Amino acid sequence: MANTGSAYDILFTPIKIGPKTLKNRFYQVPHCIGAGTNYPGFQMAHRGLKAEGGWGAINTEQCSIHPECDDSLRITARIWDEGDMRNLRPMVDHIHQHGALAGCELFYGGPHAPGLETRTISRGPNQYNSDFATVPGCPGFTYNHMADEDEIDRLQQHYVNAALRARDTGYDIVDVYGAHAYGPMQWLNPYYNTRTDKYGGSFENRARFWIETLERIRKAVGNDVALVTRCSIDTLYGDAGVEVGEDGLKFIELASPYLDMWNVNIGDITEWGEDAGPSRFYRIGHQNEWIRHIKQATNKPVVAVGRYYDPEKMLEVINTGVVDIIGAARPSIADPFMPNKIREGRFEDIRTCIGCNVCISRWEMGGVPFICTQNATAGEEYRRGWHPEKFEPAKSDKDVLVVGAGPAGSECARVLMERGYTVHLVDARDKIGGYVNDVATLPGLGEWGYHRDYREIQLNKLVKKNKQSQIALGQKRMTADDVLNYGAARVVIATGAHWSPIGLNHRTQKPIPGADASLPHVLTPEQVFEGKKPVGKRVMIINYDPYYMAPSLAEKFARAGHEVTIASVGGVGAYMEYTLEGPNTHRMLHELDITILGETGCSRIEPGRVELFSIYGEGSKRQYKGSGQLPRKENDSHHWHECDTVILITSRRSNDSLFRELKARKSEWAKNGIDNVFVIGDAEAPRIIADATFDGHRLAREIEDESPQHQKPFKREQKVWGVAYNPGENPELEWRL
Amino acid sequence: MKILVAVKQVAFLDDEFEMRDDGRDVDADFFEKDLNEFDHFSVEEAMLIKEAAGDAAEVVIAIIGDEDADDALRTALAKGADRGIRVWDEALADADGVAVARVLAKVVEREKPDMVFTGAQSADFGSAVTGMALAGLLGWPHTAVVCNLDYAPGAGTATIRRELEGGLEEIMTIRCPAVLSIQLGINQPRYASLRGIKQAKQKPVDELSLDDLGLSAAEVVPAARVRRMYAPERGKAELITGSAAEQAARLAEIIKELRGM
Ligand SMILES: Cc1cc2nc3c(=O)[nH]c(=O)nc-3n(C[C@H](O)[C@H](O)[C@H](O)COP(=O)(O)OP(=O)(O)OC[C@H]3O[C@@H](n4cnc5c(N)ncnc54)[C@H](O)[C@@H]3O)c2cc1C
Ligand SMILES: Cc1cc2nc3c(=O)[nH]c(=O)nc-3n(C[C@H](O)[C@H](O)[C@H](O)COP(=O)(O)OP(=O)(O)OC[C@H]3O[C@@H](n4cnc5c(N)ncnc54)[C@H](O)[C@@H]3O)c2cc1C
Ligand SMILES: Cc1cc2nc3c(=O)[nH]c(=O)nc-3n(C[C@H](O)[C@H](O)[C@H](O)COP(=O)(O)O)c2cc1C
Ligand code: SF4
Repeated sequence: MANTGSAYDILFTPIKIGPKTLKNRFYQVPHCIGAGTNYPGFQMAHRGLKAEGGWGAINTEQCSIHPECDDSLRITARIWDEGDMRNLRPMVDHIHQHGALAGCELFYGGPHAPGLETRTISRGPNQYNSDFATVPGCPGFTYNHMADEDEIDRLQQHYVNAALRARDTGYDIVDVYGAHAYGPMQWLNPYYNTRTDKYGGSFENRARFWIETLERIRKAVGNDVALVTRCSIDTLYGDAGVEVGEDGLKFIELASPYLDMWNVNIGDITEWGEDAGPSRFYRIGHQNEWIRHIKQATNKPVVAVGRYYDPEKMLEVINTGVVDIIGAARPSIADPFMPNKIREGRFEDIRTCIGCNVCISRWEMGGVPFICTQNATAGEEYRRGWHPEKFEPAKSDKDVLVVGAGPAGSECARVLMERGYTVHLVDARDKIGGYVNDVATLPGLGEWGYHRDYREIQLNKLVKKNKQSQIALGQKRMTADDVLNYGAARVVIATGAHWSPIGLNHRTQKPIPGADASLPHVLTPEQVFEGKKPVGKRVMIINYDPYYMAPSLAEKFARAGHEVTIASVGGVGAYMEYTLEGPNTHRMLHELDITILGETGCSRIEPGRVELFSIYGEGSKRQYKGSGQLPRKENDSHHWHECDTVILITSRRSNDSLFRELKARKSEWAKNGIDNVFVIGDAEAPRIIADATFDGHRLAREIEDESPQHQKPFKREQKVWGVAYNPGENPELEWRL
Repeated sequence: MKILVAVKQVAFLDDEFEMRDDGRDVDADFFEKDLNEFDHFSVEEAMLIKEAAGDAAEVVIAIIGDEDADDALRTALAKGADRGIRVWDEALADADGVAVARVLAKVVEREKPDMVFTGAQSADFGSAVTGMALAGLLGWPHTAVVCNLDYAPGAGTATIRRELEGGLEEIMTIRCPAVLSIQLGINQPRYASLRGIKQAKQKPVDELSLDDLGLSAAEVVPAARVRRMYAPERGKAELITGSAAEQAARLAEIIKELRGM
């Protein structure tokens, strides 16, 4: 790039990585998206878009080198055969069209990949069972087989063959994946490697497998591709694992001659939230206490990560010699156009990653495409044709009233305005953001406010472009009469949801007797946010919700000096295992002395006490006892528990009365010039912010379609019957007889 | 019963802007125009009186400005005012508050309203003179910076509250018709509905020239003239770092530079 004399020029200065030139300092590190090789269109469009958005290099997710590494039900790429190469090639081509480099991360998981589809057993330095929950919720489930020297040779050849296939697919970079306790890291790490032959014991012996593998790949691919390795320079177990000051830096020094670039991070797979740090616990650049030492040990370029969304921070870490290249996974998901926006000085247009790790949650649970809370188009590029920065122009001059400026309403209004519609966005609150305004006040969740900020900034810009559009905040709650008289051709109801004030819950689908948030000692989360009701010393959280509200409120009250107990039917913050917030959340609950009563429901609330019971107290024997009788022994585990204040985190219910009244008065629509009334987000059904945002976005894209309330079918990527995946295969059923 | 509300289209500067070649104003390309913030409150106050009177009162919006000012006028009409008057003549291009007041005085003579509202001041120039100059020209009672108003349409007097220095408040009774300049926060201005915006496009607007009002160009010559408008040079700040001795040395250097030594 021509030197413009801007402080940001360094971010756009090319850098050599071996035989290849990276055009700038923006490097999309490998990250899963749920495409793998089975959704080539998704893979192509998602990665290609980032090339369009200015990223200098874009990598695959972990890309399995051989059927012995099968990570299902988590979706990963594979480069096992020609079929896979064909399916990965569109990604490479699309990236190349925009002048960026394409990278392939060579992945061999060992027992951290459970082999559920292929039913293979992986090879490793020793036999051990994985500390990772290969099957979600089941750590310790998957074992490997200790490799002898023949098996080592075979495994290294798998790497070489995969590297050649990557080269022949057109990749510019191959990255030997040794981060997250995968592949060669299991050999280097004394935590796993307890061998006593030349591949175990001393540092040199433990490094041998990795070094030999790099040597053999280099010999095979020569300078056709840039050779990179991803390495966790500290696995964060002290001297039980790899430490940066010991094996970490020694390995960087030892392996540098074989490499063109280093891709470094910290942590392992079991606690990979230490790498993909959620904003609840980690800020931008959070790995740098470890990473800052790497450049002392190598003269090869270094790329590292740390949720880099802020151009100032990027400058700082490059200018102070922490890294040469900014690596990013989540910031590239939240804003695939971040590099271009930085180059154009449009910092306020960056859709900042909020660090919620909802993207990761979808990969962790397995089997589904990923989503992003900030970027509703992530994963929708190919199948719905959604470009994050470009929009189909309005197809009519029908104006739209959007009631509710939460994630759903504000995103819907934003996209409609981008399309050129006249939109009036009305909310009773005096700020855009709906519930996010409250969520962002919870301990550690301040950065979630970026979700609101992005929409607020964009909407304020957009209303300036169209004087007919309007954002009306701090208004009295709209009634059906207000809406009918408003004069809008289309109405979108995005009025959100609320926590049940009477303890409705999924285990009985009924209220909890005595639960009544109009009483002084019973609060809903909303009432906690309002802060009007006094909260007593002993707080009892009745939790039927699997996500973050219970641990967040527990933390809030414990920090304020209350004695907090959570009675929870399911695991507290169970979903946070998927967002990688789990381990540190449990450490925090422990630190704050919060009592957790597990597998516990609540059957009655009275002033000063709650009646709790074990959800498994009914007896295991099923027995028909006639109508009106429970076919089990009655639950006899009920007992009273004293407390001063009860917080009800039970079910949520849509605020849909406005929508329902408007539907009931459909006969009045025509005379008021109303074509249609839609309901989106939590007002349709409670969900997470990501899905509420998606829903608002979807309606805005599809508002001229046949039945906009209901989603338009998307393009599906499915295997076509009768077509062979690999050349020379017969797709017909062939019994082996 | 009629309330006349004078409104102004004000200009906001973009983040970056350039001056006009004659150096007397900002180049209009760098403006964004909108209804004066204060006028949202005066229009709302008129609307509240109108609604309380069961719509018996007519609210008329007056603006002095070229075609561009129509946007601001329609914004006020979209909130429910009944009709508008826009006065324009090239001779008004440099009008100041007093000149604008002269024009408004003629509009008042023509419309004979029972009450006139202006904003307390404008967001761009903030001279807070137009309303009071108008009252002077009309010889009407007036009160500036009104923050509470109790007025029934057609009543002979209105009760007004004003905020004074030092947290004092003043309650006064004023004879009507009167000219009141309205302060921010007197009410909560409404937003226009889409229906209001659409209806505003159909509402009658009288477009008048100086001639129509019996004024000559000579009568609207501004009382004052802008000679130059400029952005004063910013003071430079420098963070002095280093040891105490280094900091002292740098400080001495700066003092010398400033004194031209
Ligand atoms: C307490 C709570 C915690 C949550 N925590 C999480 C979480 O950690 N992670 C996650 O992903 N999701 C979470 N969710 C869900 C997430 O907040 C919602 O999915 C998301 O905010 C829904 O967006 P929305 O736009 O549909 O509704 P909301 O964000 O609720 O917005 C609705 C808006 O409509 C306005 N409104 C309602 N009625 C009217 C009316 N008649 N006139 C004018 N304005 C009106 C309201 O003032 C509000 O601003 C939580 C929800 C709640 C209630
Ligand atoms: C320091 C200074 C510099 C100035 N420079 C210039 C200049 O360069 N060029 C120039 O043309 N004028 C200039 N003026 C004059 C003045 O700003 C405008 O003429 C303006 O029309 C009247 O004053 P104001 O905007 O401050 O309104 P204020 O006296 O503060 O009063 C605002 C209220 O008066 C009413 N009002 C004001 N203008 C109109 C209108 N056009 N139509 C209907 N109602 C109206 C509205 O009710 C509004 O709320 C200057 C004034 C000052 C104090
Ligand atoms: C959805 C998702 C999937 C990921 N999958 C992989 C992967 O397949 N291989 C890998 O090396 N790292 C993977 N990571 C980790 C990232 O490469 C990166 O190290 C981590 O997210 C920290 O960078 P960030 O702060 O820029 O997100 C993944 C991260 C995310 C968010
Ligand atoms: S889902 Fe959340 S953490 Fe993941 S990229 Fe989007 S905003 Fe960032």
